[in-house]
Amino acid sequence: MHEITGAFGDVMQKQLELAAQNYELLKKRGVRAVNVMGAIGSGKTELILRMAEKLGARGLRVAAIAGDVAGDDDYQRFRAAGLPALQINTGDQCHLDAHQVGHALEDLPLPEVDVLFIENVGNLVCPADFPLGTDTDLVVISVTEGDDMVRKHPKIFAQTDVVAINKVDLAAFVGVDPERIAADYRKVNPHGKVVFTAAKSGRGVEELLSALGF
Amino acid sequence: MHEYSLAQALLESLLAYLREHPVSGRIKKVHVQKGELLLLSEWALKEAFRILADGTGLSGAELQIESVPVLVRCPSCGYEGDVRYLAEEGWHVAVPVLACPRCGAPVELRAGKDLAIVGLSVEESTPV
Repeated sequence: MHEITGAFGDVMQKQLELAAQNYELLKKRGVRAVNVMGAIGSGKTELILRMAEKLGARGLRVAAIAGDVAGDDDYQRFRAAGLPALQINTGDQCHLDAHQVGHALEDLPLPEVDVLFIENVGNLVCPADFPLGTDTDLVVISVTEGDDMVRKHPKIFAQTDVVAINKVDLAAFVGVDPERIAADYRKVNPHGKVVFTAAKSGRGVEELLSALGF
Repeated sequence: MHEYSLAQALLESLLAYLREHPVSGRIKKVHVQKGELLLLSEWALKEAFRILADGTGLSGAELQIESVPVLVRCPSCGYEGDVRYLAEEGWHVAVPVLACPRCGAPVELRAGKDLAIVGLSVEESTPV
């Protein structure tokens, strides 16, 4: 047996390069992009719609990409709200990747867009490994998922800049303390920003926008 | 679950390398370094590679996976190195904390999300 050592290439490098291409294109067009991650039913779409309303009122033009395994329900909601939108159906892939987003960017009217929300597939594992070329990553947790979400998925939270703890208006009904989720997040990510939101009523949406740098 | 697509990427990059640099003898092991921040199952990655490699020049080769720790650089104080780990009772994993262990500032990630082939173990072909 003999050994051959050396650098044979990093397969994640390809993802980073594609993400960097997306980032450059978005910068060139003056678009600020947010990768919105979170479990199914955490309220990603609703939060994006509420943020889009507020940004629209400030004169910013918002577009959205809906990433789902199948179906176009989220896309239809974005369109009904008047946003330029695209659906990416991943065909059973559990996350968006930079290649798919790159194609979607070709089809969006980028010169007429200031802010792009990319709603990832509902999943707290795989999206963490695939950078899309956005400025900021946001993870949405709803209190109805339980107060142990950070402890169950610590690595995605350790790498995420901003966390929205959503549906806080339901916390008392499901016996969950949102502060406990926030405390766990601050432990794994001392520089992360955490915002309590209730998307349906609009609570916390301004604070979330400011945490995202808007 | 993205082990299959990454195993396929590993396989393709290796087959491309071997077309340029053929080896004499069977490749028994493919040594891979996996950054600890990647959310990959080592077992699933090995199994995916075994199945996908079947029928190629890497048939029978096994992935040998080494987990490599997070390395960071601190733009504030210049620190370069590893990070502090959070290991709370009941968490069952040690989580790397992406902050400077010296001054506490936000850091740049230098390693921890890589998936790279770093070596091959080749069985000598027996002379006839």
